[in-house]
Amino acid sequence: MAFYRGQQGSVKFDDAGSSAAAITATRSWSMTVEKAVLDSTALGAIHAGNVGGIISGSGSVELLYTASSGDETNVFIEAANMGSDAGDAIFELYLDTTGTKKISFDGLITSADYSATVGEAEVITCNFVTNGTITLDI
Amino acid sequence: MAAIDLNTVRSTIEGRINLELQSDSPKIPVVFNNVSYTPQLGDSWVQCLINFGDNEYMSMGGTTDSDNLVVGVVLFNIYTSTGIGSKDNFVIGKRIRDLYNRINVSGVYFDPPVGPEVVSSSSPTGYFQTQVRVTFESFEEL
Repeated sequence: MAFYRGQQGSVKFDDAGSSAAAITATRSWSMTVEKAVLDSTALGAIHAGNVGGIISGSGSVELLYTASSGDETNVFIEAANMGSDAGDAIFELYLDTTGTKKISFDGLITSADYSATVGEAEVITCNFVTNGTITLDI
Repeated sequence: MAAIDLNTVRSTIEGRINLELQSDSPKIPVVFNNVSYTPQLGDSWVQCLINFGDNEYMSMGGTTDSDNLVVGVVLFNIYTSTGIGSKDNFVIGKRIRDLYNRINVSGVYFDPPVGPEVVSSSSPTGYFQTQVRVTFESFEEL
């Protein structure tokens, strides 16, 4: 049995969908994988029946603003404002520093929250949804 | 990048107060951590004490490609003569306050200063003493 702490995580991303690069100064990430539930209750049945339906994923990545340019971190924080998004960007959400335990999928950034608060580091939160298969190597 | 050099932060803070109080008139002696000093009763002087406190996680990562926030506080004890009111003391307090108020020097971010607050029992005795405290943060990029 092993335990992990949040600082062992990381995020990689590539908008071109080829080779994911690390997103710098990531504070946190979270993801929800959700399965639709289809009612399969037979007519006249006493108890409800359910079966699994379509699986989808969504989540967010919080990072510090570092004025990065010309790299995937810059693309990541500006992706919500780019048009013609085919949803083929690679996302890799890591649970450990060895890089073997990860959640990977194609997806797109749907929104970004940019914030500045006096006395605190400036933070950007990017929200995403998946497009297609979600692979859990955890 | 590299782990933070505490002495770089210290020298940034100490250099700034030393330059202000030693080059501008009136010159006022400044005493730093672990330096012996015998004050002359009736003279004004300032004690500058730097303490490093909390370290906080700033970003994910291990010993490389990660960031921490190093937090500290600078405490200035301002000593002036007794029996002449607080004006002289507050003049020094303002000089110190203006020196650090919300500035960013060499990657050290200073918060708005607290004080000068009057210390009821001066230490050493025989002075009118006030304190100015300034918290500061520095980003450590590993």
